Amino acid sequence: MRHRKPLARPAAAGLTAAALALAAACSSDGGSGDAETYTWWDPYPQHTDDSAWAERVDACGEEAGVTIDRTASDTTDLTNQALLAAQEGTSPDIILLDNPAVSTLADTGMLTTVDELGLDVTGVDENLLAAGVVDDAAYGIPVGANTLAIYYNAEILEAAGVDPASITDWDTLTAALAQVTGNGDKGMTFAAIGTEEGSFQFLPWFWGAGADLRDLDSPEAVAALELWTGWLESGYAPNSVITNSQNTTWEEFLTGEFGFALNGTWQVNSAAEADFATGVIQIPAREGGIAPAPTGGEFLIAPVQADAERYDITRQIVECMTTPEGFVETATTFAYYVPPTAEGQEALLEAEPELEPWVTAVREAKGRTSDNLGTDYPKISEALWTAVQHALSGSATPAEALQQAQADAEAALG
Amino acid sequence: MITRSHWKTVLGTLFTALMLFPVYWMVNVSLTPTGDLRRSDPNWFPTDPTFEGYDAALSQQLPALGTSLGIGLGCVALTVVIAAPAGYALAVLNLRGGRTLNFLLLVAQMIPAVVMAMGFYAIYVRLGLLNTVWGLIVADSTIAVPFGVLLYTTFMAGIPKDLVHAARIDGAGPWRTFTRVVLPVSRNSTLTVALFAFLWAWSDFIFASTLNRSGEFVPITLGIYQYIGNNTTQWNAIMATAVVASLPAAILLVVAQRYVAAGVTAGAVKD
Amino acid sequence: MTTTSVDPAGRASDGGAAGPGPAAPARDGRRRRNPAGAARRWTAIGFAAPLLAYLAVFYAYPLWRNIELSLHDYTVRAFVQGDPAFAGFEKYAEVFTSNAFGPALVNTALFTLVSIAFQYAIGLALAVFFHANFRLSGVLRALFLVPWLLPLIVSSSTWAWMLNSDHGIINSVIEAFGGTQINWLTSPDTALTAVIIANIWLGVPFNLVILYAGLQQIPAEVYEAASIDGATAPQRFWRITFPLLRSVSAITLLLGFVYTLKVVDVIWIMTTGGPGDASLTLAVWSYREAFGTGQPDFSPAAAIGNLLILIALVFGFVHLRMQRTWERS
Repeated sequence: MRHRKPLARPAAAGLTAAALALAAACSSDGGSGDAETYTWWDPYPQHTDDSAWAERVDACGEEAGVTIDRTASDTTDLTNQALLAAQEGTSPDIILLDNPAVSTLADTGMLTTVDELGLDVTGVDENLLAAGVVDDAAYGIPVGANTLAIYYNAEILEAAGVDPASITDWDTLTAALAQVTGNGDKGMTFAAIGTEEGSFQFLPWFWGAGADLRDLDSPEAVAALELWTGWLESGYAPNSVITNSQNTTWEEFLTGEFGFALNGTWQVNSAAEADFATGVIQIPAREGGIAPAPTGGEFLIAPVQADAERYDITRQIVECMTTPEGFVETATTFAYYVPPTAEGQEALLEAEPELEPWVTAVREAKGRTSDNLGTDYPKISEALWTAVQHALSGSATPAEALQQAQADAEAALG
Repeated sequence: MITRSHWKTVLGTLFTALMLFPVYWMVNVSLTPTGDLRRSDPNWFPTDPTFEGYDAALSQQLPALGTSLGIGLGCVALTVVIAAPAGYALAVLNLRGGRTLNFLLLVAQMIPAVVMAMGFYAIYVRLGLLNTVWGLIVADSTIAVPFGVLLYTTFMAGIPKDLVHAARIDGAGPWRTFTRVVLPVSRNSTLTVALFAFLWAWSDFIFASTLNRSGEFVPITLGIYQYIGNNTTQWNAIMATAVVASLPAAILLVVAQRYVAAGVTAGAVKD
Repeated sequence: MTTTSVDPAGRASDGGAAGPGPAAPARDGRRRRNPAGAARRWTAIGFAAPLLAYLAVFYAYPLWRNIELSLHDYTVRAFVQGDPAFAGFEKYAEVFTSNAFGPALVNTALFTLVSIAFQYAIGLALAVFFHANFRLSGVLRALFLVPWLLPLIVSSSTWAWMLNSDHGIINSVIEAFGGTQINWLTSPDTALTAVIIANIWLGVPFNLVILYAGLQQIPAEVYEAASIDGATAPQRFWRITFPLLRSVSAITLLLGFVYTLKVVDVIWIMTTGGPGDASLTLAVWSYREAFGTGQPDFSPAAAIGNLLILIALVFGFVHLRMQRTWERS
């Protein structure tokens, strides 16, 4: 008996093809070529579409006469997304990128310089702008800077009889830790995790000892690492620092069990809301003075576009975001970004005078990719945090670990 | 007999409780206020519960949950549509070079997800599938399809040849044999493949983050990252979202298992 | 008996002597003569067509791209500009001579083999246990799949939380019983063990589901015959159940191996491969090169990725061999 077979076999294949075609037709990808829409990428997914930050971004777009299509990503993902987009020629108009990554992107040729954009950066503090400078060309403007300092638990310090003002160098700091632990509390917590965050937290001590990133095995560097391993051995810092992110460090501090925590500007509000009284002291350098801490914070950068006409509007949007008032607003939205210009800093201090220690810290801070380290920095940083991990976990002495790190860095840099 | 069964139930419950302890811990964390999260003496019960995590999750993540559900179901449909006929071709129709195809499928599963995602990015940009839900459905199905074909092939190969021949004698062509005889008998496999496809699509992060970053509808795995800021993380919101996301799916699982357990007795697959 | 069938291309063909049957032996080991010959072949291809197209587009391209990435020197600049220098096997040489290669290889072997051994054993034990179909067994079995529902960032972070040296619940319990604190994630001696434990937990549901399905396929009559012969429970398991589960076990172990080789998230979130390189596996190393540092290094990452695929391929061949041997027997 003969049966007519329905043409259902190709149907399944056809279904798939139809689905793809439908998807292509309905794709909602906002084109970065549309004259009325400018694409904006930033690493603040916690600020959703209805947040004050998103509204500000939209407002700057409106002022320039366009709509801004904003996407927020996880910060570690943002660099890769930017690279993939550049490869395909679909770069957004503006990216807010973590400052150490700026030179990496600049090196690929996918970014415009501030001159190409027509942006005036004379008011920006040198030490803050330097992170985005490659071969004497500046590739963006900081949207604000944050940095590290030492928070302390006022109640614990009082109970142990420690005066925060007496902590002026490494010896006095270690002595304070001894006093606090002797009194039954825990000393200090920080982040030594095997990622950029670990390097970030180690650098104030590294630079505070007078070490240079090009010489990871200098005696000064070894001294800095020995400070940390010494604390761990004496029980002044917990073993878990090896896997601590900065967020975890802060959560540990909030339990009220620790006397000190190394953390940044962004926790100022949280510190104010803690169950105990808190204060801030600068990170001491080895022999006294303020140790230079690394700058955090994003840069506003503009990727190269096929249509150079777009740069005019892009520049207007950037300028709108970087007026002194704009800087203060950004500062408070991100609790707290210190404005990168002297004008902005004064405006901020007028509005929030208790941020004075942070403004001081930022003025003393240093960009990680400055000193023309640029794209060398990530390699050096990786070697550095690996050395810290090895030393703190006991698998190598600080000297050995740093020697290995220097060898690795030199090999990686070719 | 009855005591024996009860004893097994108790043991079973114990094993399950042990296995699910980390899940319990997750719930515990979701209710713990930030100041108590890292206490050196952790609480077994949230003695001072906070509901801010659940507030955040319920008010912000429901659309993402809906998207994840849609992607999961779409992925199931696509996977079954591609894998079932292929399994039929390999196992019953004795496709030429079936061995090679099987091996290729195995190789396909060996490719790390990151490699796949980066390759897809280029394809999707050209096809305009970037940042679409359909794009994710197709991408997520690549996790499940090779496995689905493998499962269907193994299962269908065990279908008694007499069953197939009987259909043929009745004059059914390959397609009708497939839909009227083979598919119903393979219901167990279909449910298993559906289960795997759904679960893999539900928990996928790599494809979502590479291919649907800026879309209007993002799945829950991306939605969670809203709580991971530059230097701060809201753990109770993250854990609360995970709990809220798992509850309906867990209920679905329990119901589905019962259905599978009911089994297909008539014409069941025999060795 | 001749049958006439219409294949998808609409061609009618005669049954009978229309050429030799397909060469591939059927699963029951006997060569089948297919009377419908060419039409049958085309039908089969028709059914498999969507899969073939799917494979070509979605797997072949990324694989080719990965090979291409590993044979060129893709600096970040070259990645964006699209003009990488050809590097031949230089990147592979770099990978082999790197300090991290030895530890990564050893760790990968340990991580994978120990994980699948325990996942399989526990999965099998649980499958047998639940096979008895006692009260609530369906519900409990379903609950075992809940770990699968959780996004990896959540389950990995929960494990990292529980295993934390200072405020983790596991150390709390150990200390409550009088033990000393174990630095699970921060000591080079225990970091790998810690991630293996978390990975075993994640893999048990998969093994449970498949092995349970395999158990259900064994007909009850076989067990009845055995108990008539007076076999005890352990004998029943080792003499009957286990051998009958052979091919299901083989595929479960192979798939488990392939999936475990690819694991990145669990290790990354718990220890980032550290401290130092103590818990670094090849997959994590590849991820770290590409995305873990400020300077993405795609070429070595791709090289390591290809290495992983090669290793998996070797075991795939072993599996094929074993399958062939079993079918002949």
